[in-house]
Order: sequence, then structure tokens, then C-alpha cells
Amino acid sequence: MLEKLIYNIISSKKKKRMVVAIVLLSLMGSIAMIPTKLVLAKMLPGKSANTFTVYIDTATNSSIEQTKEVSMCVVNEFKKESAVTDMEIFLGQGAPLDYAGLVKGSAFKQMQNQAEIVINLTDKHEREEPSFSMIHRLRHKIQKDCGWLVAGTSIKFIEMPSGPPTLATLVVNIFGNNHGLIRYTAEKVAKVMKKTDGLVDVDIMQDDFYTRYEVVPDKEKIIRSGLSVKQVNDILYMAFKGVIVATKNSRNQQDQIPIFVRLSQETRSVDDDSKNDLVWKLSTLKLMNPRGMMIPLKELVEFKAVPSTPAIFRKDLRNMSTITAECDLVSQVYPLLEARDKMIKALSDEFNVTKVPGMSTYMFDLNLKHKQTGEEILLRFDGEMKVSLDTFRDLGGAFIAALVLMFLLMVVYYKSFALSGIVLAGSFLSIIGVLVGHFITDQVALLLTGINFFLTATSLIGFISLMGISARSSLLLIDFSRSLIASGIEKKHAIAIATSTRAKPIVMTTVAIILGSALLATDPIFGGLGIALIFGSIAATLVSLFFVPVLMDNTSALCPETSVDESACVGGGIEHIDEEEIEKIAPEIEVE
Amino acid sequence: MKIDYKSKNIAGYLAKIFLNSPLTMIMIVSILMLGFIALQIMPREEDPQIEVSGGTIMIAIPGSTPREINNVVVKPLERKLREIKGVEHIYSIAMNNVGIVNVQYFIGERREDSNLKLYDKVMQNMDSLPKGTMQPIVKPFDIDIDIPVVTVAFYPKVCQDLNSVELYKTIRNIQQDMNAIENVSKTTLKGEKKPQFNVMVDLDKLSGYHISLGQVAKSIQAISTNAPDIDTPTKTKKIVVFGVKNAIENVEDLQDLIIAQYMGSPIYLRNIAKIEYSYDIQNYQDVFIARRDSGLSTFDPHEAKKMLESHSHDIENTKNDDEEDSEHEALAPFHPKAHQQITLTVSKLKGTNSVTIAHEVIKMLQKYKERLNDQHVGFIVTRDYGKRADEAVNELVFHLLVTIGIISLILIPFLGWRESLVVSIAVPMILAATLFIAFMTDQTINRITLFAFLLSIGLIVDDAIIVIENIHRRLHLKETEGQDFDVLICEATDEIGPSTNIATIAIILTMVPMAFVGGMMGQFMKPIPLNVPVALAVSLMVAYIFTPYLAKKLIKHPGSH
Repeated sequence: MLEKLIYNIISSKKKKRMVVAIVLLSLMGSIAMIPTKLVLAKMLPGKSANTFTVYIDTATNSSIEQTKEVSMCVVNEFKKESAVTDMEIFLGQGAPLDYAGLVKGSAFKQMQNQAEIVINLTDKHEREEPSFSMIHRLRHKIQKDCGWLVAGTSIKFIEMPSGPPTLATLVVNIFGNNHGLIRYTAEKVAKVMKKTDGLVDVDIMQDDFYTRYEVVPDKEKIIRSGLSVKQVNDILYMAFKGVIVATKNSRNQQDQIPIFVRLSQETRSVDDDSKNDLVWKLSTLKLMNPRGMMIPLKELVEFKAVPSTPAIFRKDLRNMSTITAECDLVSQVYPLLEARDKMIKALSDEFNVTKVPGMSTYMFDLNLKHKQTGEEILLRFDGEMKVSLDTFRDLGGAFIAALVLMFLLMVVYYKSFALSGIVLAGSFLSIIGVLVGHFITDQVALLLTGINFFLTATSLIGFISLMGISARSSLLLIDFSRSLIASGIEKKHAIAIATSTRAKPIVMTTVAIILGSALLATDPIFGGLGIALIFGSIAATLVSLFFVPVLMDNTSALCPETSVDESACVGGGIEHIDEEEIEKIAPEIEVE
Repeated sequence: MKIDYKSKNIAGYLAKIFLNSPLTMIMIVSILMLGFIALQIMPREEDPQIEVSGGTIMIAIPGSTPREINNVVVKPLERKLREIKGVEHIYSIAMNNVGIVNVQYFIGERREDSNLKLYDKVMQNMDSLPKGTMQPIVKPFDIDIDIPVVTVAFYPKVCQDLNSVELYKTIRNIQQDMNAIENVSKTTLKGEKKPQFNVMVDLDKLSGYHISLGQVAKSIQAISTNAPDIDTPTKTKKIVVFGVKNAIENVEDLQDLIIAQYMGSPIYLRNIAKIEYSYDIQNYQDVFIARRDSGLSTFDPHEAKKMLESHSHDIENTKNDDEEDSEHEALAPFHPKAHQQITLTVSKLKGTNSVTIAHEVIKMLQKYKERLNDQHVGFIVTRDYGKRADEAVNELVFHLLVTIGIISLILIPFLGWRESLVVSIAVPMILAATLFIAFMTDQTINRITLFAFLLSIGLIVDDAIIVIENIHRRLHLKETEGQDFDVLICEATDEIGPSTNIATIAIILTMVPMAFVGGMMGQFMKPIPLNVPVALAVSLMVAYIFTPYLAKKLIKHPGSH
């Protein structure tokens, strides 16, 4: 039956044209799904885990008690969740390191304004809601309910990365020379990002300004009284921060026991954050000089209120400020582009904004030049986006390399460019299935769970391995047809017979791949690979059963040199340049 | 036994050699066994190891501002570090009093070399450090040691707060024991309260008695010295040993310390300060735990009723899985108060099996359970990467087996159950051989390795299918009736040899470029380009050597008697 059908198709020019047209249309249609956002791209999808972490950063000069208050508020919110088994609260330090914490600087946390909460959930198989959906549901509520307790608080939800960890999904680095201008630009950019849909947990990594008090020693008085600035320093430190003055070894313990001296809790605290209160508190402190005289500290120093000096952040030898943001269940590509457009608009008032020319993985960067001062600032997009672009670029390169290698192999084997072209065309066309498959799965996933299914790096890996699989089908077909023609069967008949005989193992291997990948498709990370393999191999099968015979018919290279009947090998209809052209255009489309 | 067939290529040649060799059966069994052994003893982890090299340099100049630090320390140091080959990024932070420079190497740079280069560069430039700087601290990254595989939270069970110092002492002993477990590298405690004498000076009294804080410190230092023992020979050529005892033994010793004389009467430390033996109060780092209390202290009758209902419900349909049950189990209410706790973290050495280490750690905890119970200390294992790795690996191995099962089932209507049986023996053999090769090349078994296997199933099954299909097809052809079965098998294998070879090589070629993908993602995905081509190469061998052999043993020749 298949034999007749194939024979029918390849003996009619019109039907052949139709097959080619269908293939070309569906190829273009499916590729068009990427720019039209019918298929969404993302590096790696979220992974439902049994644990996640909440990072809390209160304003730079917050006390540990304030940080604790915010943390306990967050803990109380999570207590309402039935899926939470226990929570560990780490105040003034990072939680035990995990892969995410490794790159997010968790190990360096030691300030009073930092805290991390580890939330452990019940096993993911026993709970309906994936961890990322839970975060999505609670994020805004918790940020609203607990964020106001201490001004300048940022509460971030850190999920277990499904692949390699990055500082944040979206990172904007602002490079420049002028600290003030960097800070100003950073705040402006952060404001834009906060207003962009899909971007959450926007945070500028910088110290907040607060008032600090400078104790200015009066040099003359200090020298005259026989004291030193160091003594002043030491005494203030001991009084308010405390000092270990001696240690005692212990027989029944692994550590030494220190003796710690500090003012008592009641006498140590200052009434309020103001200069007068501080001066009043310090007025009672006295120093003893070598002659045994007690000299009040107040006599030796003056007090001055000054703004704090925020830390300077640098990357690759340039001053910079970093803004981080996470994506809430959406791909990072689209919010990034949206935020970038808004940034250009918002920054155009004061800066001349130019896009960085050329294609690179930094292609979203913006150059800013201040309209008045002429100072330059570079706005660089980094984070998971950069890693994705690098990965997609590398995988794209790997894909092209694979194409070239396969083509060379085929040329060596067949000694014909046309036949090699057919094999390659056959394998490349599986992209139709990959894209359509992602579209269908996305729709189904949206319908069932309300979560998008993305085209990911693993889909690309699936596509690359598919090329080999579908090449095999075409190879078998060509080989068999060639041996049939060599045995004297007319070309069109030979192709039809070969197709129908080979249909069984081709379909069988396709079924094997589909079933083999069915379990892959349910995995959050390798789902893309599974979907790519399932739908890609279906497409590849259809292509090799219907399109490849048409192409074979159009090439004379199918006939062995010692053909029995030359006339049997005359191809008809469309020139076989078509598929060569497809080949040339296709990889370029892919890269873009 | 000689097969009367002249092979045209490697496929038929291999089939011919091994078709009647007694070695073939032994090889089949040993390959399967090797694979099984590899699966059992290979180190398991959840995610593959990504080699991240880098380090942190901290340089402190007390009393300097960020700008000073930036100009004096950070900038020159950055320039020097830039000289190192293989550095991708340098991040620095200039803060009050301290500068931190973070060096990040390109992914895949060898860690030992990178660390050495970093130390070397810093040490070379020690002389050019500005005056007043403290000794720079160089801390290289070490993922294996830094990322703990197990964390345990110890907390006081009773509502009243346990003396945290006592808790610390117990945990410290457990920590010591944990470190003795084989392949455990580093253990740390978080939230520990170290014992300490606290002298809390009252500022008002201090000024009342006209005493300075410096005096207090000096007096304490004066009486607390730890000195080594002194020995001296006697006239009878023996040795006499004596030592000065630390004058501070307990709180009373400190309280009775005379600080100064005021109006002729001595002032004791207890007059101006409160002295206690407790924990390090200056350390604000604190760790709490919020946990569910399975005890009935806050028992809610309403909840109990619900639980009971769900329970009886479960008895009725025992098969109905415990989805509801577990949900109710989790409903044990949260303890109203978050307790102070100590978290013990345990890391492993590189390349060792996290599953066995986690298992050992938990066994050790069980041993301590009773003693901890006596002290009213409970514990929760808050992180168990061993269990996670084991579950992930077992789940995927199960998926692999299910997939093989499904494929062999689906082949039955196409080919018949004997032929399908051949495939279902050939596929595990390929996987076993690949796994063993992975084991020999020091890979670990992780999610990505197993995904590479799942991916390769779809690819490797083809070779076996194509050979067996061709044998099957030829068996049922009219022309081959009466042909010797051995010859037929060799011929069938031979026939598809060239195209199968070329197709398999084509697939291998498509996977190879993936090995050159750079960055974190490239490292993460590395098991795929490492294992899939191996599996494919093995599948060719299996298809030519063992598939014909198994076909001969398992398939009945319709032509033969």
C-alpha cells in the first residue's frame, strides 16, 4: 500500500511539488514560532525541589534584632503551609553552603543585617504543588507583610538551580568611574526593572547611606595628658564592642575559655541614634594616664556626624554596581528585552544611549554618555541570560560542527554531494517536529498546570542527537534503493519498494525512541530533550518516508555508475538545487 | 562448526567468529555482571561535579575608608592578579577597614594549579603591601569541602531553654566522632555558643569609683597566665616538675579580683561588674529552628478527628496511596516558638560516595540518640544529599528498566517474542558495558549520566533492532529456505553492516562537538558527550557479536527440523 502511495507521489510532478511545498511551509511556519513567541525559549526550566532558601537583607546599619524580627515574620508566614516540615534560621550568617549559595556569596555573610532561612518541604512526590509554584504564590504576600518591618529590607527567594548556578537570573552590571553617577544610574535602572512584569526580587547590591559619628581626637590635649589615640580607640572598643582580655585552658573541653570584658547591657546602650545621646553616653567614660590621673574622654575628642562611606564594588578592574533580579516562572528573555526598552527610554533624558554594535553574547549591552558631563557608563546584562546565550551559542556551534562532520562523512561514503544533501535535509527537517512538539506541549502544560513549557538547552541537545537518528533512516532508504536499482529495477519502482520495505524498521525504531523518551519527557529538566526526541522523530519519520523519496527521485546520483538502464535514472520535476538551498539557509536560521 | 560463509565486511566477520564460540556466552554474563558491580560501587551524586576554581583574598587595614582601601590595596592587587593566566573575572569589594578580592578562573581550569598560582602571586607581592596592613588571608574555593552533604540540627526538646553551652559540649563530641568516619573531610558547627567568662562592667559604677576600663583589663590579665610546667634536676639526678596554676578557675576567682584601692578600701571586680560563666555574647550569629511538634502539647482535637478519619479511610483502600495521609501527617502543628539550635555540617572528600557517607553519619547519630534524649536534645537531619542522590539514581535506574521493558514489549507484535527477547538482552548489555567504562574512567553516577543513558537507549536499540529485523526478514524469505541457519545469520548481519556502521558513526559525530561546549553548562552536560558515543560504539559491537549469537540460540529456524 505504502509502495503504491509513494510511487503515485513520485510519478506525478504536481504531487511532488505539493510535498515539497508542504515541507517548506511547515519548516517556515515552525521556525516562525520562535520570533512570534509561540514557543518560548529559556535556558533551564525550574525544578521542583524539597528545599529552598530565603535570603533576608535589611538596611546596612540594621541590628541583629531587627533582622531577626523580619526573619521570624517570614517564618510565621511559612508556618501556615502544610508542605513545610521544618525551617532553619541563620542570623548574621549564611546557611550551610549549597550550589546556589556558592555563587551568591552566602559564605561571606557575616553582617548583622543578613540572614538566611532554609525551608524544608515534604518529599516532592508526596506533594502536589511544586516548590516554584509555592514560591510564586507566596512571594508577594511575604514581601508585603514582612518587608515593611525594617525599612530597606529585601527578601529574596532562592530556588535550587536545576543546572549550573548563577548569581541571579538577571544581572545588570553598571560600570563607570564616578561612584555617584553609578549609584544614581543603578537606582534608576532598578526602578525600571521593578516595574517590569515577570521580574521579581529586584535588588541593588550596595550599602545604604546612614549617619555615622566620627570621634575626632584633639591631638594637643591627648599628647599633653600623656595619652595616645590608640588608648582612646582601645577603650571605646572595649567599652562598646568588648574585648577578650585573657584565656583559660580547660581540661574537659576542646576549646579555651576566654575572659571577655564589656560594658553591661544596660549601661552600654545609647538612647537613640543621635549625636547628643552618643555624646552623653561617652561623657562618663574616663581614661587613666601614666601619672594615675583620670581624664574624661569627652575632654579629648570632638564628635561629628558624617554620612557613612558605602563599600566600593569592582569587577574586572572597573568600578561597578550590580542589580539582580529573578524571573517569576517566566523565561528571562522577554522581561529582559522589555526592561531594556524601558531603560533606554528612562535614561534618554540624561544620557545619550547607544546600543553596543555587533553580535556577541554581550549584545544587549548599552553605552551611556552623560549629556552634560560627558561621563561614560556601560550597562551590561549578565547572569543566567549571559550563560544561556553562551550555551546556545556553543550548542549552535556544536550543531553546525555536527552538520559539517556528517556531511563530510556522507560525501566520503556516497561520493556524491546530492545524496549527502538529501541525508542532511532529512535530518535537519526534524526541527519542524521539535518546534511543533514544544508548541503542543506548551499548550497542554498551560491547560493542565498553568505553567509554560520552554524550549531549553536540553531541547537543543535532543535536536542534535535527533539528526543522527533521522540520518540513519535516510541512509537505509538510499542504500536499499541503490542496491535495488543496481539489480535492475526501474528507479521510481525501486524507490517505492525500498521505502515500503524499510518502513517497518524505520517505524519500529521511531516507536522505540518515542517510548524510550516518554519517561524523559516527564522530567522537568530533560523534558525538552524528551519532547524534542518524541516529536522530532515523528517528523523525521514522515520526512524520510515521504519527502526523502521525492528528493531521491530528483537526483541522478542515486543511480550507480554502472547503471543498467540510464533512462530509468532521469529525474523529473523540480531541480534538486532546492534542497541544497534549504541546507544553506537552514543552519543560519537556526543560529539566529 | 566451520561456517561456510565469506564475509564482506567487519559486521559479518565478527558475527562469524563469535557465532559458535563458547567464549561468547561467558562474555555476555561477565559484561552484565561488570555493569551491575559498577552500578553498585560507583560513587553516586545528584548533580555532576562542576570544577570551579577561584579564591578570595582578604586584606585588612584597620581604620581605613573604602576609598583608601580601594586605592592602596584593591587596585594594585587586582593588577597583579590580572597577570595570572586563566583568570576569567576579578570581583572586589572595598569596605571600611578591609578589602576583599575574589578571583574566578575559567570553568574547567585545574583547581590545584589555580590555587597554587593564586598563592604564588599574593606571596610574591607581599613586599609591596602598604604599611599598616595585616597579613593577607588567601582562601581558595573548594566545592567538595565547602558544600556539606549532610546537615543536622540539634535543638533542646523541652520548652525551657537548655543551657546552650552544655548543648555545645555534647555536639562538639559528636563532631569529633563524625570526623573519624571514613572519607568525611570537614565538619563545622553553626550557631554554637562557646563557653566564656563574661565581665559586664557597669559604666555608672565605673565612673563612681573613678576606675578606667583599662585598669580592669590589666588586672584580669595580671592574674591569668597559662604557663608551661617547669622542671629542674634534683641532686639525686631525678627531675622535679612544678607549674604555676592559672589563678582563674571559676567565676568566684574573677569576682574576688581587686581592681583598685579607693579611699583605702579595696574595690573588687564584683563591685563594678557582673561576672558570669556563660556563652560568647559578642557573637551575634544565631541559629534557630522552627519545627513541627509531633508531641501532643498543642494537640488540637479537631485535627485529631481529621487524622483518625483519614486513617480509617486508608484502611478501607489500602492501595490508595498515601497522598492524603502524608498531608495529614504534616499537619502536626508548628512549635509556637523557634528554638535555638546548633547545626552540624558534614562534608565529604572529592570523588567519594555521598550515599555511604550520609548513611554512616546517620548511623552514628542513631547511636547518640539515647544519650541526647537523656539531655533532652532532639535532632533533625535537615539536609541529606546522600539520600537525594540515591533516590535520584534509583529512580532513573528504574526508568531505564521500564523503558527497556516497554521497548521489548512493543517489538513483540513486529518481530515475535523471541526476537524481542534478543533485544532486551542486548540493550542492558550495552548499558552495562558503558557503565563499566564510565566507572573505569573515574566518572561518578549522577542524574546527567543516567539521562545520557536514557537518551542513548533510543539510539542504541536501533542497531540491535536492525540486525535482528534483517535476520527475521531473511528467515521468512522464500529464497533462503533450506539455507544453513549460521550462514543466513552471518549474511543478514553482513548485509546491513555498511549502512549501520556509517549511520552509527554519523550519530557519534553529532555528539562529539558537544564535548567542546564551554562554561558551566558545558561542564554540567559533559556526561552526555562522554557516555553517548561510548554507548553507540559498544552498541555496534554488541549488534555484530552478541545479537547474531543470541538470535541463533533463541530463534527457531523454521527451515530446520
